Amino acid sequence: MVFGILIGLLVLVLSAVPVAAVLGILSFVLDEIAMDGRLTAALAEIYWEKSKEFILVAVPMFILLGEIMLRAGIARRMYGAVIQWLSWLPGGLMHANIGSCAIFAASSGSSVATAATVGTVAYPEIKQRKYNERLFLGSLAAGGTLGILVPPSINLIIYGLLTDTSVPELYLAGILPGLSLSALFMLSIIGACLYRPSWGGTKIETNWGDRIRSLPHLLPPIILFIAVVGSIYGGIATPTEAASIGVMVALIIAASFRTLNFKMLREAFEGTMRTNAMIMLIVFAAIFLNFVLGFMGITQAMLEFIAAMGLTPVQTIYLIVVFYLLLGMFMETLSMMLTTIPIVFPIVMKLGVPEFSDVWFGILITVLMEAALITPPIGVNLYVVQGIRTRGGKFNDVAIGAIPFVIAMLAMIVILISLPELATWLPNLVYH
Amino acid sequence: MLANIHARLEQISRLAVWIGGGALMAAALMVTIDVLFRKFVGITMSGSDEYSGYVFSATTTWAYSFCLLHRSNVRIDALYSSLPKPVSACLDVVGCILLLYYMSIMTYYAGIAFFDSYENNSVSITTLATPQWIPQLFWFVGLLLFLVTLIFVTLYTIVALLQRNWELIGKIAGVPSIADVIEEETHGQDVILATGETLDGTK
Repeated sequence: MVFGILIGLLVLVLSAVPVAAVLGILSFVLDEIAMDGRLTAALAEIYWEKSKEFILVAVPMFILLGEIMLRAGIARRMYGAVIQWLSWLPGGLMHANIGSCAIFAASSGSSVATAATVGTVAYPEIKQRKYNERLFLGSLAAGGTLGILVPPSINLIIYGLLTDTSVPELYLAGILPGLSLSALFMLSIIGACLYRPSWGGTKIETNWGDRIRSLPHLLPPIILFIAVVGSIYGGIATPTEAASIGVMVALIIAASFRTLNFKMLREAFEGTMRTNAMIMLIVFAAIFLNFVLGFMGITQAMLEFIAAMGLTPVQTIYLIVVFYLLLGMFMETLSMMLTTIPIVFPIVMKLGVPEFSDVWFGILITVLMEAALITPPIGVNLYVVQGIRTRGGKFNDVAIGAIPFVIAMLAMIVILISLPELATWLPNLVYH
Repeated sequence: MLANIHARLEQISRLAVWIGGGALMAAALMVTIDVLFRKFVGITMSGSDEYSGYVFSATTTWAYSFCLLHRSNVRIDALYSSLPKPVSACLDVVGCILLLYYMSIMTYYAGIAFFDSYENNSVSITTLATPQWIPQLFWFVGLLLFLVTLIFVTLYTIVALLQRNWELIGKIAGVPSIADVIEEETHGQDVILATGETLDGTK
């Protein structure tokens, strides 16, 4: 039964049927077969209750905030400032790519927008400063993925909603792994450039005077980050309220850069509404499926199956990791999370290992989603970076250039599994 | 004629999206004021969370139609993109029909929720005691707009299928190319594509 469902799901999903329709129809069918229509009986009520769910309001708010920041015109100046601070490392500008992406990601929720925007600013430098093109492109694709791990992250809100995990705790939990992963990316670059110094391009002259003068350009994203994340941990606001405050701060920032106008707002609205609709269309379907699967005891069947394999908890986690890495080669991340978490999450919780908590798993799965964004054949960020190469070139260049960063992510996954405290320490410190 | 209706639906959806975005921004302002008052003045204005929930429910459904017309509903194109045009066009049509089937059910139940609240005069269990049919009406209207758009797009693709016009099907219901995706995500702000032009048409 379980495998029948999984295979059916896979076939439908691979045939490019809209994911929302696949999930929705599947939950109706299962409801009919196994639950005597309990879902359908309560559907009107469930649908309305979830449609006005306050925690979900955070999603369009964070998207709107990102859309405004994207149009505030901060990218170029910010990149220039990050160059001043990071380009002395072996690998030069590639560190600025990672750094800018991480900072930009903290205000924009979209990895596509992050990779495309920072990528466009950085791309001309490859030729000008004679960088190894592949590694440089890889650093852009990888840097863009940080958006879903560094708070505020839309993926973490959706994970929190599906699994009843506290979003503020998830946000706190994402900070250290986000920094560690950025550091691992940079180490990969340093490693590659020590091995082949010619890959690192020509040196950029920087000095402390310029560094200090560049600081104001870093302020907008930092102010925004402090307003949003600070108001959550200062106990002033819930994530949804913090997101609303963030929207106001973003508007003020845009106004101070004189980029706030009617046309810009209209575009930001269009982008926000489109992305929000796209997400919610699947989220509601996934909520129904979650409801049905929870009722059907699918988890019990999966647990028995895993128990029969005689795996230890850590082995089970690694099995899940391999499953996601393979799936991530072919599936888009949001649908992957929404279709699999209802089944996988209860399994992890039943492992009975206190360190493998709901918060921890949220971070692990997010790093796995990041890997999915840069693993071929379907890795959105690879295509985005390929899309901004004005001089053209083979898609393989980007895919090969991303390999060192995939390795860094795999290292991050191993660290998270061996040292769960990296994610859980900060939220435990604040909340427990 | 079909192309005209398509363009008209796009206009209506775009207008719905602008209104939705404006409402969302207003909700953000309302919530922010609420938080600031609570923190610095010590006054709690109850209700901003409830109202923003209603705004959210309506803005979400009002944007579905725009999302569909801009082909932003999520589909997995792992196999799709390597299929011959006629096959992927057929998948586009099948996808539309299945989405239509799913959304008809959802719209039907949303309609039930609305009419029930209206008949029974249901109010929210908060101090505001908002009559539920009011926000539910906005919510339901968005779903109706989506359903109408979806029916139209499905018919349009079927007509195009009968004419073997694969290009047209791809344009109205296919999975967008990566250049389209980047354009939708950034509106070309600060972004230059491999085509050598910025997306808003300037060099």
